[in-house]
Amino acid sequence: MGSDRPVLIPVILGTTRKGRMSAPAARLITDEINKRAGLRGELIDIAELGLRTDDVGAAVQNPELSDTLKRADALVIVAPEYNHGYPGPLKQVLDSYLKEYIHKPVGLAGVSAGSFGGTRVIQNLLPVMREVGLVTIFWDVNFSKVQDVFDDDGKLLDEAYVKRIDKFLNELVWMARTLRYGRENIPLD
Amino acid sequence: MKCRECQLEMNHHADKPVDPASAEEARGVDPALGAIVEAVHCCPECGSTESERIAPGLATHG
Repeated sequence: MGSDRPVLIPVILGTTRKGRMSAPAARLITDEINKRAGLRGELIDIAELGLRTDDVGAAVQNPELSDTLKRADALVIVAPEYNHGYPGPLKQVLDSYLKEYIHKPVGLAGVSAGSFGGTRVIQNLLPVMREVGLVTIFWDVNFSKVQDVFDDDGKLLDEAYVKRIDKFLNELVWMARTLRYGRENIPLD
Repeated sequence: MKCRECQLEMNHHADKPVDPASAEEARGVDPALGAIVEAVHCCPECGSTESERIAPGLATHG
């Protein structure tokens, strides 16, 4: 039965910057997803997508990512805050797909070197999420002073994040299961 | 619309307003909506997603 499929949650690592501290944050969230029965987390590193700059939109879709997103039940976006906004490559990835997002929930994790933990990048992503058809949840994860959250090997130093991610995932998974049922069973007309 | 893999009838669960992608498509915009509609479908078995763009003003729309 379709409802027996694991809940698939890609975690999008939203920057290509070398030395990015968003990487251990994205790996942490992916690992927490995969600890839960009935879920399948998959880390999507946008640095590995071969992003093109000669066109925009559906013309530059990555076919494998499209297939993953089509089957996804929810998304997590891990976004560092650059100049109070989101990274350009992340926006390019977001703009390259549409039907893959409709009526699916998204959880947002902000990352910053400062104290606000990407609060501004999360706020700036909200209208984009709405427009592409993703449904936002009311839990975020804010990685503040991220350089102090993980060691040089990417190991978590502050276990409080596990509890925060637990709440975040509880809500995201509830929405994922609810909207999956809706997408599969409730017609529009 | 049938799922390409499962061949089951997919569930049409959303109509998303989108901008026309070409001048021709723009001529098909329903003036009442001010947008092209992308009808989104989901397979109840595998969960895959497909869509079709609907431009009522275009002669080829069926």
